[in-house]
Formats: sequence, C-alpha cells, structure tokens
Amino acid sequence: MASYDLIVIGTGPGGYVCAIRAAQLGLKTAVVEKRATHGGTCLNVGCIPSKALLHASELYEEASHSFARMGIGIGIGKPKLDLAAMLKFKDEGVDGNVKGVDFLLKKNKVDSHRGTGRITAPGHVEVTAEDGIVTTLDTKAIVIATGSDVARLRGIDIDEKRIVSSTGALALDKVPGKLLVVGAGVIGLELGSVWRRLGSQVTVVEFFDRIVPGIDLDVAKNFQRILAKQGMVFKLASKVTAIDTSGKILKASVEPAAGGTAETIEADVALIAIGRVPYTDGLGLDAVGVKLDDKRRIVTDAHFATNAPGIYAIGDVIAGPMLAHKAEDEGVAVAEIIAGKAGHVNYDVIPNVVYTYPELASVGRTEEDLKAAGTAYNVGKFPFTANGRAKVNMTTDGFVKVLADAKTDRVLGVHILGPDAGNMIAEAAVAMEFGASSEDIARTCHAHPTLTEAVKEAALAVEKRAIHM
Amino acid sequence: MKEITCRLLVIGAGPGGYVCAVRAGQLGIDTVIVEAGRPGGACLNVGCIPSKALIHAADEYTRAVHLSAGKSRLGITAAKPSLELAKTMAWKDGIVGRLTNGVVALLKKAQVKYVQGRARFLDGKTVEVDTEMGRQVIRAEVIVIATGSTPVELADLPFGGRVISSTEALALKEVPKKLVVVGAGYIGLELGTAFAKLGASVTIVEALSRILPLYDAELVRPVEKRLDTLGVRIITGARVKGLAKADAVAITSTDGKSSTLAADKILVTVGRKPMTDGFGLDAIDLDMDGRAIRVDDKCRTSMRGIYAIGDVTGEPMLAHRASAQGVMVAELVAGEKRAFDRVAIPGVCFTDPEIVSVGLSPEAAKAAGIDVKTGIFPLSANGRAMTLEREDGFVRVVARADNHLVVGIQAVGANLSEMSAAFALALEMGARLEDIAATVHAHPTQSEGFMEAAQRALGAAIHI
Ligand SMILES: Cc1cc2nc3c(=O)[nH]c(=O)nc-3n(C[C@H](O)[C@H](O)[C@H](O)COP(=O)(O)OP(=O)(O)OC[C@H]3O[C@@H](n4cnc5c(N)ncnc54)[C@H](O)[C@@H]3O)c2cc1C
Ligand SMILES: Cc1cc2nc3c(=O)[nH]c(=O)nc-3n(C[C@H](O)[C@H](O)[C@H](O)COP(=O)(O)OP(=O)(O)OC[C@H]3O[C@@H](n4cnc5c(N)ncnc54)[C@H](O)[C@@H]3O)c2cc1C
Repeated sequence: MASYDLIVIGTGPGGYVCAIRAAQLGLKTAVVEKRATHGGTCLNVGCIPSKALLHASELYEEASHSFARMGIGIGIGKPKLDLAAMLKFKDEGVDGNVKGVDFLLKKNKVDSHRGTGRITAPGHVEVTAEDGIVTTLDTKAIVIATGSDVARLRGIDIDEKRIVSSTGALALDKVPGKLLVVGAGVIGLELGSVWRRLGSQVTVVEFFDRIVPGIDLDVAKNFQRILAKQGMVFKLASKVTAIDTSGKILKASVEPAAGGTAETIEADVALIAIGRVPYTDGLGLDAVGVKLDDKRRIVTDAHFATNAPGIYAIGDVIAGPMLAHKAEDEGVAVAEIIAGKAGHVNYDVIPNVVYTYPELASVGRTEEDLKAAGTAYNVGKFPFTANGRAKVNMTTDGFVKVLADAKTDRVLGVHILGPDAGNMIAEAAVAMEFGASSEDIARTCHAHPTLTEAVKEAALAVEKRAIHM
Repeated sequence: MKEITCRLLVIGAGPGGYVCAVRAGQLGIDTVIVEAGRPGGACLNVGCIPSKALIHAADEYTRAVHLSAGKSRLGITAAKPSLELAKTMAWKDGIVGRLTNGVVALLKKAQVKYVQGRARFLDGKTVEVDTEMGRQVIRAEVIVIATGSTPVELADLPFGGRVISSTEALALKEVPKKLVVVGAGYIGLELGTAFAKLGASVTIVEALSRILPLYDAELVRPVEKRLDTLGVRIITGARVKGLAKADAVAITSTDGKSSTLAADKILVTVGRKPMTDGFGLDAIDLDMDGRAIRVDDKCRTSMRGIYAIGDVTGEPMLAHRASAQGVMVAELVAGEKRAFDRVAIPGVCFTDPEIVSVGLSPEAAKAAGIDVKTGIFPLSANGRAMTLEREDGFVRVVARADNHLVVGIQAVGANLSEMSAAFALALEMGARLEDIAATVHAHPTQSEGFMEAAQRALGAAIHI
C-alpha cells in the first residue's frame, strides 16, 4: 500500500497548486482526480474556456462593427463565423493548460491517482477508478479540494443541449437565435456576452432587483446600463418557475420575484447560471464525521482544518468567494501549514473580475459594506471618457472608484468598470495589502498614456483634487 | 496692453505646464499660463496621444488583415480590409482636438488665465508675450519653465521634403511604400512598427549595435522577434551619411562599407532636445546641465523664484514625469513641503509587444553594487496569455539578495503597459518579494505573471 505525507483530493486550482507547493516543501504528495484531465472546473469548464470564447467573440464583434471611424474599411458585409473552429480554438486552449498541469505535477514528483476518492478514515483514502478497480492509499494528511458544481433550479432538468449549465454553454454547436440566461451573476453575464456577440438575442432574468449581487451597487447599475446598450435585455426582480420543453422552442414561465402573474419568454437555449454549490458527493464525509454548514460547505478553522484530525479543506468547497485565485492561495497556505510553516490568506484583499466588455474588477469593500459597518468614507471617481488611452482605444465606457476611510485615508475598496480592469486591479490589491492611503496611490507616478492613470485620478478625487476632471 | 501681475506664471502648456497650472489653481494660487502652440504640448498634439492612436489603428488593421488571410484560429474570416490613412488621421485629429479642448476647459475650471503666444524673459520676474492683440507683459512672483523639447536634427540629413520627424510622420496622408527610420529608440520603433503594420516596407537604421539600447537585450528580444515577423529590416552599427539620390539614403556601416537604401520617407528619430532657444533664457543666465536646465530635487533652477519642469530639464523625457514635477512645484509654491524623491518613474515602450520598466534592471543593480536575485516568469505559462493568443514575453522582478527588497521590475508582453502602475506602486511602497508573492492576483489575468515572478525569485513559483 502506497503511503504519503499528503493526499489532495481534486486537482482544480486549489488542489493542484496545493500539491505542487507541498512537494516543493519536501512532502511526499499524491493527488486524486476523477476527471480525465487535471485542472478542475477552472481549466476544463470554467475560467480558461470562458475567457478563450470571450476573447474570440470580442474579436468577432469588433470585426463586424466596421472599423470605419479609424479609416479601416472591411470588404462587403459581415465577417463569417466558423463556430466549430472557434470551439476548437477554445479546446486547444484548455488542452494546453491541462497538459501544463500534468507536466507541473510530474516535474514536482507528485503521484497522480485517477478515480473517485473516498475518505474511509482519517489517514485513509480509497480510490475507485472508472473500471471499478479500488486502490487504498495511506497518508498523514488529507486536503479536500473537490470544488463545486452547478446549482440547479427545482423542476428544471439540465440536458446540456437546450437547457444548459455553463458547461453546455461553452460547447453549443450552433449560435442560438434566442438565449435565455437565468441569473445575472458573473457566469451568466460572461457567457451571455459571448453569445450576444456571436449573434444571439439575449435576455437575462435575475431574482434580485439588481445585477451582479455583491458588487458595489452604483458600479452594478452603470454596468447594467452599458450591457443594455450593447443589446442585452434584463428582467430583474423576476424568477423562472418552469421551462416547457415540449415544443421546438423553449417556453419559460417568468414571474415577479414577489409572486404574481407569469409571462412566457421563448428561447432556443436556456442557460441556468444561478450559482454553484459545494461538491462533496461520494467523499464519505458522513463516515468520518466531517462537519458541513447550512450551505453544505465544509466547515474549517482559520488554518483550513476540519473537525476531523488530519483532514483539511480549501477552495470552492469551503466558505468564501468561489474564485480560482482564492482556491490557489488557500492551496499554498494549507501546504505551508501542513509542512510546519506559517501559511496565511488575507480575505480582505481578494480581487474579483468579470471578463465582459467592459471588464469589472473590484477588491475590498463596497459602499454598501461600509454603510452597513457604519464606517465613514470618502469616494473618488474618475471616468474613462477623460482618459487619453481609453480615447485612442475607443474604450471609454466605465470609471474607477476608490473608497477610502474618512479619518485615516486608508483605501478600503477599489472598483474598476472599464477596459482591462482585470490587470489594473493588481495595483489596488498590492496597495491594499500595504494598507496604503489614497494619497499613496495618488502620489505614485503612473505611466502616460495608460488606462491606469484613471486609477491615480480616482485616488486624487478622494480629496477632490483630480487634475483631468 | 495692460500688464498682468500674478503669483505664478507657467511657460508652456504641455503635460508639465498645464498640470502644474491646474494644481496651482486648485490650491488657490493666482496663476497664468502662456502657450505658443496648442495647449497639451508635444504629448497631446504630436506625441503620446497621436502616436498611440496610430498604433491602435495599426493593430486593428493587422487584426483585420489576419482575419482576411484566413490565418485566424478563432474561426472568424473576413473580407480583405482596406485602409484610408487620411481618414485614420482625421479620426486621430478628432481625439487630439477633444483632449486639447479638454485642457482649456480644465484650466478654466481651475481659474487659470490662459494667454496664447510665445513668451520671452525680460528678467527673472518679467516675461513678454507676443499675442494676437499685441505685446503683453506679465509679472510674476514665481515662474515655471515648462517649454518641453523638440526633435534632434541630423546635420547630414536636415528635416524637409522626404526627411521628416515624428510630428510629420503622425500627419502623413498616405502610407509610404518604403520607409527608412533613422534611430531605433522607442519613438522610432513605435512609429516604425505602426507603419509596417499599415503596409509600409520598413527599414530601421541604428548607429549602436542593437535596437532600444536603453533596455537590456533580454527585454528587447521578444520585440526583435515580432519585428522580424512583421518583415521589418533592422540595420545596426550603421550611420546615415545623407540623401543619396532624391529617393534614397546613404549609410555607412562600422566596417566602412557604404550602401544606399531606397526611401519614400525618411523618419529621423534620434532623440529630443530640451527647448531652450528663442525665449530669452540668456537674459536670466540659468545654470545648465548640458542642453537641459539644471534643477534640484525641488525643480528649482539656479535663480530664486524660477522653476523648471518636464523635458526642458532633461531625461527621462516622459509625460508622467513632467506632470509629477508640475504637481510638486504647484504644491511647493502653495507652501507645502515636497521633494521629488520618486523611487519609480515607469517607462513604457509601446512597441509590439510592449516593454515596461520600473526601477533598476539586473545590470544596473549590479553596477550599483547591489547583490540581487531575479525571478522571471514567461507569459507562455500564463493561462490568460494563451486565451489572448499572445504568449510572447515575460515579467522579471529584481530584488536585493539580502533582504528581498524589490529594486526593479521589468516586463515585455502584449498589453503589459497596464501593469506598469502595479509595478510602480510596489516599488514606492518598498515591497519585498514576499509581499508581492503573497498578494492575491486575480485569475486568469496577465498580472499573475508578476506574482509568479516574485515567487520564482523565492524558489516557490507554481506554474513553471
Ligand atoms: C464558467 C465559469 C467561469 C469561471 N470563471 C472564473 C474566472 O474567470 N476567475 C475565477 O477566479 N474563477 C472563475 N470560475 C470559478 C473557478 O472555476 C472556481 O472557483 C475554481 O475552479 C475552484 O477551484 P477548486 O480547486 O476549489 O475546485 P474545482 O476547480 O471545482 O476542482 C475540483 C476538482 O475535484 C474533482 N473531484 C471532486 N470530487 C472528487 C472526488 N471525490 N475524487 C476525486 N476528484 C474529485 C473534480 O473533478 C474537479 O476536477 C469560473 C467558473 C465557471 C463555472
Ligand atoms: C512621437 C512621440 C511619442 C511620445 N510618446 C510618449 C509616451 O508614450 N509616453 C510618455 O510619457 N512620453 C511620450 N513622449 C514624450 C512626451 O511627449 C514628453 O515627455 C512630454 O510632452 C513633455 O512634457 P513637457 O510639458 O515637458 O513639454 P511639451 O509637451 O513639449 O510642452 C511644452 C510646451 O511649451 C510650449 N512652449 C515652448 N516654448 C514656449 C514659449 N517660449 N512660450 C510659450 N510656450 C512655449 C510648446 O509649444 C509646448 O506646447 C512622446 C514624444 C513623442 C515626440
């Protein structure tokens, strides 16, 4: 029987990063994965394929809207789309990434066991391969990194053809004429954007009376306005109660969230994107008595330890934002803790990005958070319409918003709605890790002409001394 | 005309001057600004903004060409694009117009008085301006010289006719068939790359042994590779002798061999020199530093009450440095305590891929006697780079070996200019490798490369 210092169950960004870090620190490490490829949700059916399609569809849209203003004429008519080729581009991106993980695990001498892992007792993991063969492994520590799965709507069956989850929406073989997106969260808006750019008419139904719950409300409202201008139709404060699949066209019943008369929305494809739920099926947690909370997330302490000895958990399967980089950081931290070092994750500074156009990136607190906590704060805002680089790139939608403590000027939150916001948020994250004041950002020399100058100006605007406004 | 008296007079409304004046106005200082040309200076009119507009248009055109050639792996095909450079230029001029009008509006909002015309020093407190309405005398307690810079001319190849500077290049109505660029600094390379993408056959001639001599060879390599793909010919170690026939330039290589290069246009980009002529500087006899006005860490010149900021004070000639100096001087005049002690003035080269550099390179650090550790992370191991189809380039972090204090950050890659702020901020905050390695960076973004480079310097990179 093989025996390890550490076994990680699940090789998503949480699990594989944890395993690599543990191996770097000298632990004899193995991973268990039931999927045919490593990389988890993120690399196989999440971040990477969605970003590949977002990139490709953005280029398509750009080519269809004539470049006329810049003096570039494009022959006659619209560009042509070969969806199969576009999906192949995406699959190659996924393939490159998952092979990369294989390579990294091998390079770091991490053993891979293919199959479903079950914890029979602390220190014991049983792996059942697809052909039914069972292997038993011994280990000092176990990290559960089994991630999350699509949340379902009662009474609506996901067939991944006409009623799809994000996974099916990444592989439609035809551009739907009408796409119904249920849920105006990150995933619904990203994939809704992909298909709208490729030609679908997209309607988004959201239960709350706002989009992207959790994001700063003022930012979310502006975001919605921009998406609506692009042609996305929103039905807020509404719920989908049933979808009739009997005809050629889907008929969704949509009611006001508070209840009332239903209306019917027709669609060729419906994307259910109402969130994700922690995934612990088949792990045998009952048997070892690992505690779950009311949302079925594994309960851990500040050091990622569950209540069962030697069993830890990280990533989407525990509390906190369901983000790949959060999972990765927890993976590093738990590996360091198990190796006897001091691992730590600062949950106050975890950036969050929506990869639509414009992108929406934020880190730290929203205005709503600060009001709820009774913290006095100042707001500095700066629009991309007043930024030179945004003008020459013709991407002037959006703005930067900096929230700083009214007493100490410490930066408490930064929200960027705009082009390339995902890269720009890194500056804000570094600043907040240092407990920077808005003045620290304002006095850092920002290169001209870049979009980041808008971050500086927003920081200046906190004390009402922006230059370019 | 009635004399104007004011507390602060700014000469030149480039990014140094107008930003200084706006900040001074915000601080309640009674301010006047004089500009001989158009508000916004080199930067808005003939520099940063129009060049980046042209670069953007060239990038879009290349994409369209790529799609029409059936080369795209994305499954998109388009008909062959056509280009009307005159329209591209009109579009660019529209943006420049909006921005320069914006500068006027900002000055007005800050209650700064704008005087159009060329200023001349009469003495250390007095300036005369030839305005449309006649001679205007302005007396000020404090004067800021922000007159910027102009292109350097080659004695053997004076500007005129086919021989143009960046200013004319940014106003061409047609793409030259054969373009020779003399000088492989960032301006020459940015414009040379743009014109190559727009269809010109481009040759770059550089006297030194390599292009972009200000950056180290490792950083420049991805740019060289891309230039090669674009079909740009590079001739290093060669000097231009002058026009050969009407339509060619003569060059001599270091080994003495002469040859000629056919050219419809010859773009000379061999640097910029501080603008110190023609405004009576001799009347006040300031100390100079070569061609530049000598200033201290508060941008004070050798004469009390006279400051100089921006390109007129020499290298690095960058718009954001000029602006930062402008803000500082305004605050000094308002009585605040300030000094120009920037650890980090980011330099960005908008070539393809883009180069960003902040702080010390590994060589510069070694030369300064610092024992360093470096960490490099290639973008080929970054997921976002793969989905954006641009895996060329890397991020490099340079830190002291003893205490891991980061002393420099360099990167080369598509679109990495937007990472420059994170790099600069990290240096300004005195970050150590551990700080960057432990900051959560969003996935999937190119910025993860920054974190991984720091992790790699610590021997703990995950994705390589
Ligand atoms: C469409 C989409 C787009 C997204 N985009 C982004 C984005 O842009 N940025 C971002 O930060 N996040 C994004 N996410 C979220 C991100 O994918 C997750 O936060 C991340 O994958 C969580 O990592 P993890 O390691 O916790 O779990 P997962 O990636 O879910 O990995 C868990 C792995 O465990 C395996 N497993 C489960 N049970 C067992 C078992 N019993 N035995 C063996 N193996 C098991 C699973 O097969 C899976 O491979 C996106 C998600 C989706 C669906
Ligand atoms: C093609 C090109 C691309 C560039 N790209 C970049 C880039 O991407 N990023 C970057 O940071 N920098 C870039 N630069 C450099 C940047 O333009 C300069 O560093 C910046 O403009 C300097 O600002 P300044 O205020 O010192 O001077 P300037 O912008 O040169 O402004 C000086 C102003 O003073 C006026 N003036 C001069 N004499 C007088 C007088 N006697 N009376 C009244 N007015 C007077 C001039 O008309 C001018 O408007 C580029 C330059 C060029 C040429």
